[in-house]
Amino acid sequence: MWYYVDPYLLPLFGLTGVRGLDGLIGTFLLALFVVVIGEFTISLVFRANRKHLDKLNSNLKKYSDLSQEALRRGDETSYKALNKQANDAYGHVFFNKFGLSAAALWPIFFALDWMQPHFAESGISIPFYPSGAHYVVVFLICYILARIVFGRLKRHLPYFKGQYEMLRSYDQEGRPPGDGKR
Amino acid sequence: MKQTGSFRKWSLILLVVSAFAWAGANSLWAQTPPAAPAQPPAPAEQKPAEAKPKLVGSDLGLPAKLGVEIAKAPEGKGKGQIDTTAPRGVFGVPGAPQPSSILIFLWAVWVGWVFSTVGAFGGIMAGVGHMTVYGLGDYVRTFRDTAPGLNKTLTDSIRTSNQFLVGLSSIVSVVNYLKSKRMSWPLGLALGAGSIVGAYLAASLTGGKVSFSQYQGWFGVFVLVVGFVLIYELTPKGQAGKKAAKAASQAFEKTVKEKADIESAGVTLKSFSITKSTMTFFGTDFSFNPIAAFFGGVVIAAISAFIGVGGGFLYVPYLTSIVGLPMFVVAGTSALAVLISMITSITTYINVAGAGMDWALVGTQLVGVFIGSMVGPRTAKYIPEKWLKLLFIVLALYVGIGYFSRGFFGRSWVPM
Repeated sequence: MWYYVDPYLLPLFGLTGVRGLDGLIGTFLLALFVVVIGEFTISLVFRANRKHLDKLNSNLKKYSDLSQEALRRGDETSYKALNKQANDAYGHVFFNKFGLSAAALWPIFFALDWMQPHFAESGISIPFYPSGAHYVVVFLICYILARIVFGRLKRHLPYFKGQYEMLRSYDQEGRPPGDGKR
Repeated sequence: MKQTGSFRKWSLILLVVSAFAWAGANSLWAQTPPAAPAQPPAPAEQKPAEAKPKLVGSDLGLPAKLGVEIAKAPEGKGKGQIDTTAPRGVFGVPGAPQPSSILIFLWAVWVGWVFSTVGAFGGIMAGVGHMTVYGLGDYVRTFRDTAPGLNKTLTDSIRTSNQFLVGLSSIVSVVNYLKSKRMSWPLGLALGAGSIVGAYLAASLTGGKVSFSQYQGWFGVFVLVVGFVLIYELTPKGQAGKKAAKAASQAFEKTVKEKADIESAGVTLKSFSITKSTMTFFGTDFSFNPIAAFFGGVVIAAISAFIGVGGGFLYVPYLTSIVGLPMFVVAGTSALAVLISMITSITTYINVAGAGMDWALVGTQLVGVFIGSMVGPRTAKYIPEKWLKLLFIVLALYVGIGYFSRGFFGRSWVPM
């Protein structure tokens, strides 16, 4: 399956000709590619599910506000019932976020599947470890670095900029953009 | 407050790094040398009357211990033999089952659906997928007598694949709970340290030593236990037990709704000693013994690593009933312990026990899991919760009895 991909990916592991650097640069670029694919998938899934996610967040806010009102009026029975509803709504929001995050992680395993036949035996030469480090460890370290780099870059990138703003508003407010103030 | 946040971050980093380190940093970094071709038996050992089957004699390019055990397996087209000319299947083994990507994907959608509706039972369904639906169990079992080492190594690969799917959800959970400050750090650190020890011991002591039948039998026992827990939860006594935890959760909800300072509303450490740690959560003190938490982590992580599951099903009752914490904090703390034990056992299985991984299999399953977890919350609302629990009780008893009998007695007591 990876036969057709090799001509595109293998050159990434020989950009400088310096043993020790090539492996690291190649793995980092592959990890960056994986991060971009993951973020792109998130954006698609998010767009497809936005209406549903908005509804879940609105439900959460609605039940939270209602239970607060019940508390103010001293109606303990209603408060408990509404609180349970808000708790359930939180569960739904949480699992949707789990789905979104899984959308970002799946390309990692296809990248490791490509790396396995190429680097499982020889390892990847990196600075201070020229004899070859385990490909999974090198990839995971590069993946974390790539996520940090992309996290800083995406707010300036045309497609991902809008996505970044939208997700940030969800993270900060736990509700759809424009649906009330903090 | 910022210092506390920094301490928490560094504590988490320290725990994760410790998990890697404990799991055998040297073996993790260093490359396993290519498997040496299997040596033909010494002439003196050969019995002239018996025709020894020809061995594969090469690792066939497969990594680590998997390659070593493949080289020792008999070559041929029969059961319990490696057909070196056959197309490569799961884990890159020639002649191994090649479940179609559609089947893998669809089963993973179901697993994701279960994760998002019933929770822990998703892990059981992931195991059923590997062992039964994809046909790996029947294939691995054929090597029981012909190549016991390969049988055990492939069993480790199945255990590790199970853990990947279950553990990935804990990564996401930990991040979410960290953001919402639903984490008890002193308890998380004590449990996490115990988890590292337990998961490492279980994976290193049992890796390469458990046959598939034994594993299937124990998995069956685990599924039966989960089934009985589900039955208990439906009883009036089980329902009443949840009320105490709900009370503290409501206190949290109340404070959030009154727009109190959420930053100060999380769990705060009041005092800490090696035998007693006290934390405050919404004005109520909770005390626990860090040593007891450590050994709790050791036992739970060891069981989880052996079975190849996350362990949340054990951490949660442990934290609520023994430590007495409210569910709002338990969810996050148990997710952290699951993550630590998962990292430890997976790295140990791969590096110390030499389990091979089929990354594409995990990747395809993950795509299915995220689609299933999207579909789950939307569709589950059409099925009453009680019906859903009854369905999973029936499934748990069926799978549990089937695996238990097949694993320990050689034949299934229910059609499988």
